[in-house]
Amino acid sequence: MTRRRHWRRFLGRIFLSVIVALVTILMGVPLYWVATGAVKTNREIYTFPPIWIPRNPQWSNFVEAWQAVPFPRFFVNSIVTTAGAVALELVFALLTAYALVFLRVRGRGLVFGFVVAALLVPSTVTLLPNYLTVARLGWINTYQGLIIPVAAVAFGVFLFRQHFLTLPRDLLDAARLDGCGHFGLIRHVVIPLSQPVMVTFLVIYLVAHWNDFLWPLVATNRLEWRTVPVGVAYLYQVEGVQNWGPILAGTLMALLPMLVVYVVAQRWIVKGIGGGAIKG
Amino acid sequence: MGRSVDVVEQERVAKLATPSGSRELSVDLRGRLGDWPLFVLFVTPNLLLLIVFTYWPLLYNAYLSLMQWDLISPVKLFVGFENYRFLLEDNEFREVFRNTVVFTVGTVGGTVILGLLFALLLDQPLRGIALARGVVFAPYVLSGAAVAVFWINMLNPRFGVVAQVASWLGTVSPNWLNHPQLAMVAVILVYVWKNVGFTTIVYLAGLQRIPQELYEAATVDGAGIVERFRYVTLPQLGPITLFLLVVSTISSFQAFDLIKVLTNGGPVNATTTWLFYIWEQGFVAFNAGRAAAAAVLLFVFLAVISFLQVRMGERRVSYD
Amino acid sequence: MPERLTRRRVLLLTLGGLSGAALLAACGQGQATPTPMPAGGSAAPSPTPAQASGATASPTAPAVVKTPGSTVKVVYWGSFSGVLGEAEQGMVKRFNESQNEVQVDYQYQGNYEETAQKLTQALAAGTTPDIVLLSDVWWFKFYLNDVLLPLNDLFAASQIDTKDYVDPLIEEGTRKEVIYWVPFARSTPLFYYNKQVWQEAGLPDRGPKTWQEFTEWVPKLVKTEGGKTVRYAFVHPSAASYIAWLFQPVVWQWGGRYSDPDFTIRIQEDPAVEAGRFYLASVKDGWAVGSKDIVAEFVNGAAVAMMASTASLRGILKSATFPVGTAFLPEGPKGFGCCTGGSGLAILKNKPKEIQQAAFKYLAFATAPEHTMWWSQNTGYMPVRKSATASQEMQQFYQQNPNFKTAVEQLPKTRPQDAARVWIPNGDQIIGKGLERVTVQFEDPATVFADVAATLTREAKPVVEQLKRREGY
Repeated sequence: MTRRRHWRRFLGRIFLSVIVALVTILMGVPLYWVATGAVKTNREIYTFPPIWIPRNPQWSNFVEAWQAVPFPRFFVNSIVTTAGAVALELVFALLTAYALVFLRVRGRGLVFGFVVAALLVPSTVTLLPNYLTVARLGWINTYQGLIIPVAAVAFGVFLFRQHFLTLPRDLLDAARLDGCGHFGLIRHVVIPLSQPVMVTFLVIYLVAHWNDFLWPLVATNRLEWRTVPVGVAYLYQVEGVQNWGPILAGTLMALLPMLVVYVVAQRWIVKGIGGGAIKG
Repeated sequence: MGRSVDVVEQERVAKLATPSGSRELSVDLRGRLGDWPLFVLFVTPNLLLLIVFTYWPLLYNAYLSLMQWDLISPVKLFVGFENYRFLLEDNEFREVFRNTVVFTVGTVGGTVILGLLFALLLDQPLRGIALARGVVFAPYVLSGAAVAVFWINMLNPRFGVVAQVASWLGTVSPNWLNHPQLAMVAVILVYVWKNVGFTTIVYLAGLQRIPQELYEAATVDGAGIVERFRYVTLPQLGPITLFLLVVSTISSFQAFDLIKVLTNGGPVNATTTWLFYIWEQGFVAFNAGRAAAAAVLLFVFLAVISFLQVRMGERRVSYD
Repeated sequence: MPERLTRRRVLLLTLGGLSGAALLAACGQGQATPTPMPAGGSAAPSPTPAQASGATASPTAPAVVKTPGSTVKVVYWGSFSGVLGEAEQGMVKRFNESQNEVQVDYQYQGNYEETAQKLTQALAAGTTPDIVLLSDVWWFKFYLNDVLLPLNDLFAASQIDTKDYVDPLIEEGTRKEVIYWVPFARSTPLFYYNKQVWQEAGLPDRGPKTWQEFTEWVPKLVKTEGGKTVRYAFVHPSAASYIAWLFQPVVWQWGGRYSDPDFTIRIQEDPAVEAGRFYLASVKDGWAVGSKDIVAEFVNGAAVAMMASTASLRGILKSATFPVGTAFLPEGPKGFGCCTGGSGLAILKNKPKEIQQAAFKYLAFATAPEHTMWWSQNTGYMPVRKSATASQEMQQFYQQNPNFKTAVEQLPKTRPQDAARVWIPNGDQIIGKGLERVTVQFEDPATVFADVAATLTREAKPVVEQLKRREGY
């Protein structure tokens, strides 16, 4: 009896493993495709049957992409812009959510609704008005022009608020009795208790800002102020034949930092995203 | 303090089950004005940015929606509600609306259902599960435009991956991105591939938070796998599902890069969604007024949808 | 008491530039026992460095910088990146090194559409460049709004004979005898064919004289395996890859047109519909296919002939594994027809005179015979000056690269495109989507073109009104 059960368990595990492997392969093929495409020649890309293992990897595609445009400068711009925007958003989200949950003020619900409704504004309609605003401020081709207009948070406030609602009230009360002010509470109680949500927050916002294309394209018009996604667009031809190898190589370089972020954050992501999403 | 945080964390987990309402502090440290000064201080910077860079554009749009304007000319012609009338009577806009519904249902349904299935799979203690999780989540961190670029390559019916698969199956691949019906299917597939990692990871976290005792109790009561899933897992995941439905719906409506690069809204208008239409009318056709009217309508529509989702969802979730 | 202290401190800090780290640090002061952060606390990012550098390292660069001294700086917005971008950078470099009065600063702004959008936004904000590259379907929009500088006086002052520019090219940018848009990166459609397949099929090594002849060749070109077509004779592009541009000459070959210059739409009339029926037959009979990327189909051998831009020539030669032939477009029932395309240069109005003169110097340089020749050889675009084409250097180049010659020989027979595609905003895509209904959805051109005509007529209305105001008739 137990033996048969054991056997069934074993078979079940094999079956599950096969399915997981299948899912992984299906999800992974496109990633493999872009990675190998980056070292193919145009001829190898335009051929049938498709070449799964490039026989003669063109590492020069990376060099070509790297030299075609000042990628180091783009990376600096992207890092500064992403870090600046995410840092501001983190502070704003923490403070706004804290105020919405822990401060006793009438009309909090209204403020919350006002913040969250911003999520519903179609993203492309803000381009022109915001360009006019930023141009009027003289912020075209500046870091503040790249950062400030995208630094307002709505979804992040929602995430933190949901989380704060689950924080143990007794502990907060105790901390207050110990003489901790609101800032002490934020620093010593709320932040340490919010690490999973913060990881969630960071992953979502880092990814969104790092990959943003439209606003950096609009808010800058000089080479030295462009960011990485706009930089990749420099590899395209306006007419004629696309040079796929360097384009895919550039694409790959552009997404590497995010993969690093993922690997580093991986430990917390599962825990963190759940922490943010679950309503207490 | 380092130790005490762990304790706190445990307390927190223990408290998760108890629903709670207001969280204001009982200990009153407020001055004469109450919490107002601090509230204003905390909330204002963000609100200010939202007003300047999100709501002002929306208002400006509402104003433009009453105009006929080509974005360059110094004169804007007042046309009243003409732009709205046009949209509501226009066949093309009706098609755009239909596409949007299909795209939203497809992508939201796809990411949420597949996400749940993947999460159930990836929750198993199998060898190499970390790698599998990594591969499933990785597409989420990629940029939409980059994803579209290599999917175009893969979906090419003559030399892409689909060509290889079709030849293995002894047939010829259809032209996915240039087919009146399949183009939408392809766009939805790519979108789901890119975004399913997010829903998976959220569900995964949710699964890991379900108290083991519930399963044990159910097993004792004689529940099999299916019953346990139906009566324990699903209800426990209710709040997460609601969260994911709302969030996925909103981000699906905002999808742009992917469609722009994959199909540019075509063939004909087969993959033109509402947001894409706004962009096309505004920045390609230079119909600022018509684009603005469509944007205002989309905002209202989204508000109604989200409100309904939350309303219905809350009822459903609290009943279970 | 600590509470109030904290609040005041925060206020000061906030005034001094809101910084997350500062806010978090504030409590440490008011706290009786400053405890070290728990281990996880280090995971919280410190936003200060990034922000600080954001605040300091950002000198605002105005669009036009005039340095003291005699050098005038000119900003030039364009759409060239990749290989074409390198060629364009090379042109600017040659110009900057050739003299020291004008310094041109080339800035890529995205593809043709994105460049036009950026110019639109820049106009609204008053932050325009001095020179801008505009494609065939965009320049008219800016002309209508009177933001482009009339160039006749500048041409006269620098004693350049505008008659030396290739007629159909310069005419396209001329309104009421005033030049606004100077041809620079100009192309025409060519007929490309796969010489290897041609040879295997026993066909003469040339393009078909007429579409009639081509349809006779078709059975030898199409290849099927197990009832499925694996090789097509011809490939049609999509709306986004400019099918409306490539169908333009076909409509003419059938004796029709998209529209008259006064925006009377003609696409729904018989000749154009017949041309559409030819396209429909090509896909229905299974020898042609619609694709988003025709060059890929051709280079891959999945289609053995196509119409495509001259600008693709260099890339096609580089990617194809077979010898490539180019030819004139085939003739239709009503003879030959071919259009031009690509982009040209314009100078923005409302700039100081010296800037405009400096900008024109570059414009004249880039389209001068010796430079248009250099540009042509490096890109595949056509020389825009008659004297350049006739020059010995160019003739020698053509001897060695016969494929490049086809476009230039065809050029004198081209004519400017119809108003409906290039002057109605989005006209290109309205017609293009109509054609997709034919080539992808197999709909009858008669109904499709009637719909297209209705849309074009509607969208043309504001343009007609604007044109009346602008040109006064």
